[in-house]
Amino acid sequence: MKVLVPYLKRYRKDGVFATLSVLVLVFATLWQPRLLQVVMEAILKNDKHAVLVNGIWLLVLAAVGIVAGILNTVYSARVALGVATDLRADLYAKVQTLAYADIEKFSASNLVVRMTNDINQVQQIVMAFFQQVTRIPLLFLGAFALALTTMPEQWWVIIAMMVIIIGVSLVAFRRMGKYFAQTQMDIEKVNTLARENLMGIRVVKSFVQEPTEIKKFSAASDRLTDVTARIGYLFAVLMPAFFMTANLAIGVSVFLVGQSITVHPTYLAAITSFISYLNQILFAVINGGFMLTFASRALVSLGRLREVFDTQPSMAYPTTGEVADLPGDITFDHVTFTYPGDAAPTLKDVSFSVKAGQMVGIVGATGSGKTTLAQLIARLYDPDTGTVRIGGVDVRDLPEKTIRNTVAYVLQRSTLFSGTIAGNLKQVQPSATLPRMQWAAGIAQAAEFIDLLPDAYDAPVEERSANFSGGQKQRLSITRGVIADPEILILDDATSALDARSEKLVQEALDRELTSTTVVCIAEKISSILRADEILVLDDGALVGVGTHHELVRNNPVYQEIYATQKAREEGI
Amino acid sequence: MKDLKNAGRYYAHYFKKYRLGFLVASLMIAFSTWCIVVAPTYLGEAVKELTSYLQLWGNPATRATANFDAFHRTLIIYILLYVGDASTIFIASLIFARISAFATGTMRIGLFRKMQRMRVQYFDRHSDGDILARYTSDLDNIFNAMNQALLEVFLAVAQFVGILIMMFRENTTLAWVTMASTPIALIVAAFVMKKAGTTVDRQQDDIGRLNGYINEQITGQKVIITNGLQQDSVRGFQGYNETVRKSALSGQIWSGILNPLMQGMSLLNLAIVIFVGSWLALSGTMSQGAALALVVVFVNYASQYYQPIISLTSLYGMIQLAITGARRIDEVRSQPDETRPVNGKDLTGIDHDLVLDDVHFSYLPGKEILHGVSLQVAKGEMVALVGPTGSGKTTVMNLLNRFYDVDSGAILFDGTDVREFDLTALRAHVGIVLQDPQLFTGTIADNIRYGDPEASMARVIDAAKQANIHEFIESLPEGYETTVSDEQSVFSAGQKQLMSIARTILTDPQLLILDEATSNVDTVTEAKIQAAMDNVIAGRTSFVIAHRLKTILNADKIIVLKDGTIIEEGSHDALLKENGFYAELYHNQMVFE
Repeated sequence: MKVLVPYLKRYRKDGVFATLSVLVLVFATLWQPRLLQVVMEAILKNDKHAVLVNGIWLLVLAAVGIVAGILNTVYSARVALGVATDLRADLYAKVQTLAYADIEKFSASNLVVRMTNDINQVQQIVMAFFQQVTRIPLLFLGAFALALTTMPEQWWVIIAMMVIIIGVSLVAFRRMGKYFAQTQMDIEKVNTLARENLMGIRVVKSFVQEPTEIKKFSAASDRLTDVTARIGYLFAVLMPAFFMTANLAIGVSVFLVGQSITVHPTYLAAITSFISYLNQILFAVINGGFMLTFASRALVSLGRLREVFDTQPSMAYPTTGEVADLPGDITFDHVTFTYPGDAAPTLKDVSFSVKAGQMVGIVGATGSGKTTLAQLIARLYDPDTGTVRIGGVDVRDLPEKTIRNTVAYVLQRSTLFSGTIAGNLKQVQPSATLPRMQWAAGIAQAAEFIDLLPDAYDAPVEERSANFSGGQKQRLSITRGVIADPEILILDDATSALDARSEKLVQEALDRELTSTTVVCIAEKISSILRADEILVLDDGALVGVGTHHELVRNNPVYQEIYATQKAREEGI
Repeated sequence: MKDLKNAGRYYAHYFKKYRLGFLVASLMIAFSTWCIVVAPTYLGEAVKELTSYLQLWGNPATRATANFDAFHRTLIIYILLYVGDASTIFIASLIFARISAFATGTMRIGLFRKMQRMRVQYFDRHSDGDILARYTSDLDNIFNAMNQALLEVFLAVAQFVGILIMMFRENTTLAWVTMASTPIALIVAAFVMKKAGTTVDRQQDDIGRLNGYINEQITGQKVIITNGLQQDSVRGFQGYNETVRKSALSGQIWSGILNPLMQGMSLLNLAIVIFVGSWLALSGTMSQGAALALVVVFVNYASQYYQPIISLTSLYGMIQLAITGARRIDEVRSQPDETRPVNGKDLTGIDHDLVLDDVHFSYLPGKEILHGVSLQVAKGEMVALVGPTGSGKTTVMNLLNRFYDVDSGAILFDGTDVREFDLTALRAHVGIVLQDPQLFTGTIADNIRYGDPEASMARVIDAAKQANIHEFIESLPEGYETTVSDEQSVFSAGQKQLMSIARTILTDPQLLILDEATSNVDTVTEAKIQAAMDNVIAGRTSFVIAHRLKTILNADKIIVLKDGTIIEEGSHDALLKENGFYAELYHNQMVFE
């Protein structure tokens, strides 16, 4: 709840108006039966004037109720959306301060859910709070008090009614909680089966397993049907039980009024308003129950939001210090790194150094730590022990901007953001001119297809860059990587979807155009790193070889093994 | 309107079975409505009895005759009426709860069965997410609407009719007074709902765009961090966020005020009825007791009169969703099934050869992909399909086990058109290994025996051994009993392909179709896959979409496809000598020193 307070304060005025209008609304709702009673008494007394005056009051009260109801909705919506929008904005800004490891800890999809669904839950509960939460207790207390002043002797009828209703609900909801949990599991099971069959429809069909799958699905579906029906039956008992209890209470009250009518003849006129109050109490209790379950869901969401707010970025950058241009030398000094939550280190005591302007290849089996090593250069993570230096400086002592200006990282899974090609390039270099973009695209061998697009550099990039092929995406990614002429360029298997000829052309262009840039090239194919000045061979997190292709082929067993599986390509000649 | 008619037909289809249930529920609801509308008259009656009792009692001459008998009688009837109401509503609710749950269940299983019968084409043209939404959101909306609206709608209609009848029987003038404000309320409701509809649509669109932005940015967070784009990202976000604030505000307000507005109209109407009623009661010739009773009765009617209108308007959104859901599910139901020949021939094996005879094929009319492909494969031969992306390699595979059917020409097994075989028999003999194989939730053993759920453990292990995955499986703590699902897999991409090969080996197919995995496999796993492939191909007629040179070199026949035509065909050496497209492709891969 504490998370919400500062946001609620920001919309204090709207909140006050929402509450005031709810008070007016409650007053109007509660007062109406009382006025009705006065009118009835006037009829009994044959007092036309009183009927007229109080009748007009009734109309005014109803009109006030409508206005108050509308105002309450408007102000509640303003508070709710204000809080939700600001909360989302702060949450998003917070997430952007986090280190990559923190994001991974939550997982991206989980963070997205928090920013969408959870915020939405909070928005709804805030809205409901200003519409209902103040109203329900007020209506309840008001109706209770007024009912008591109407017929004080019958207090126990009201209490008895409430005890029965709350008791029945408690019993029912305990059962229901069990069923709801069951439903959730069954729904997941059904959805998983549906999704698997959708994605694997070719497998199902080619193995002719349609009948088996239908049987499996029907069984899961039937279980879901069964438990939803059970919940339905419980609700089927609940509602009529509530209303019958209320009506029995009314019957009892009327009976009691009859018994004492000679003592309290005015109660005759009070019956109708007493019934109204009983009904209002009933509705308040039922709605209160619903609000409680609703609020408990929102509390869970709030907790999940607070978890994000409370996360301290696991990596801090020095805020002082000049943003400087560094040369592209890279040094790893006894670097060991373990992923959070892993038992064994992914990099084990890795040491090497690379001079500015060189090309370094990194090879090794999947899981040997190639990407991890590259990520430490870009300071996506910090090593457990040892030091990573760029241009001779420990990366932990560099302002964030210096690292980002110095190191460009091109991922194998190229992510472009929806917008235009130029938009994506200008994100990295806002001042990029058309010739500059053409230069960069030329290096990445992307110019050939960009020039064919009707809008060239203003061509749209769709979500997930779905309008480009895998090879085109990679080439656009490389374009983005080189546009700012970085001192260090990391290509993390970034040419895997390129054919051999294009890959060669990219490398030649890098050599020619980015002479002072250190290129770190992670590759599955040895052919991609043949030209490297130095190749690092990783095996299970350890650096087991450094040298040129010719040296490694001669003296490095791990390299030889990798080479052997690829060399086969040659043998056919 | 067309939607409404379709939805009507859709629900009629699923509700047909529950005719008796609907009949009983309707009777119950009619009875309960009768109870509810009649009950207030007995309350009025009771008040009248009390008034006359009071008058008799107040007059010393008649005090002795004053008694509660009549009062008690009416009160008991009043209570009995509500007992009747509660029990009949209970029965109707039970029936509707059952119908909602079971009808949704039937729809869900029906949808799944339909999915299993449909052509692969449908799945290729529609996104998984969109189809899956039929299960998750559409069926959910339908169930919610049925669960909440079925009873409400029946009740509302019955109550509305019942109250109208009672009011007019009781007092025509007051009945008209009670109804007088209805047209205004309906016009107001229609206006607000229309506004709510458009503003909520806009709100949903804007929220969709905001969520899309968040999703794209956070998923691409690595790029954002490595390029130092955090501030840009926040700036971009703020634009979307503020748009949502504005559009959601009007959406929430317009959809939010309907209820207070209608409740308010109800209160206003009540006030009017009380006002006019009391005035009439006093101006008329009625006795005080009768006048008071009349007002009491009409206060009841007036407060109930608006309830059906309110509940119908508040159900509107839900019903709208259920109509949309019905349309979307019906769309799937109306898709064509796979064509299965009547009395299809049984396929026991391929004894001589497999022939593609001048095969033309197009996914979309007018956009032909294969332009007359002809080739002959003898039993036991291995064919490598080679060619650039989009050349039609996968399309050829799709035709062999009839995921798609040819436009013209034919595919013949031992001289018989594949379309004449029983589809089940055909597919049972054509094994397929996909590039990105789907695993199903269950144990590893279940996944390997997927094509033959009865297979013994010995056969499972044998298949795994041939597929070079046995050792890895054994190294897992739970071995073959390890649970896997496609989302949460212990397997790497390469190992998944090995699983897929094991799965196919177990079914011992006559014809094998293999789509080689290209990416993300390290060289050691690659070698394992190669060996497993050799095992599965041995002795079988097989088609391989080949990316690896080694596979191509092993082929008995290499088919080079380009733009839907076979441009070269022959052995590796022969093709190299031709020095054509294949030779160029080959040399391009050979940048290796």
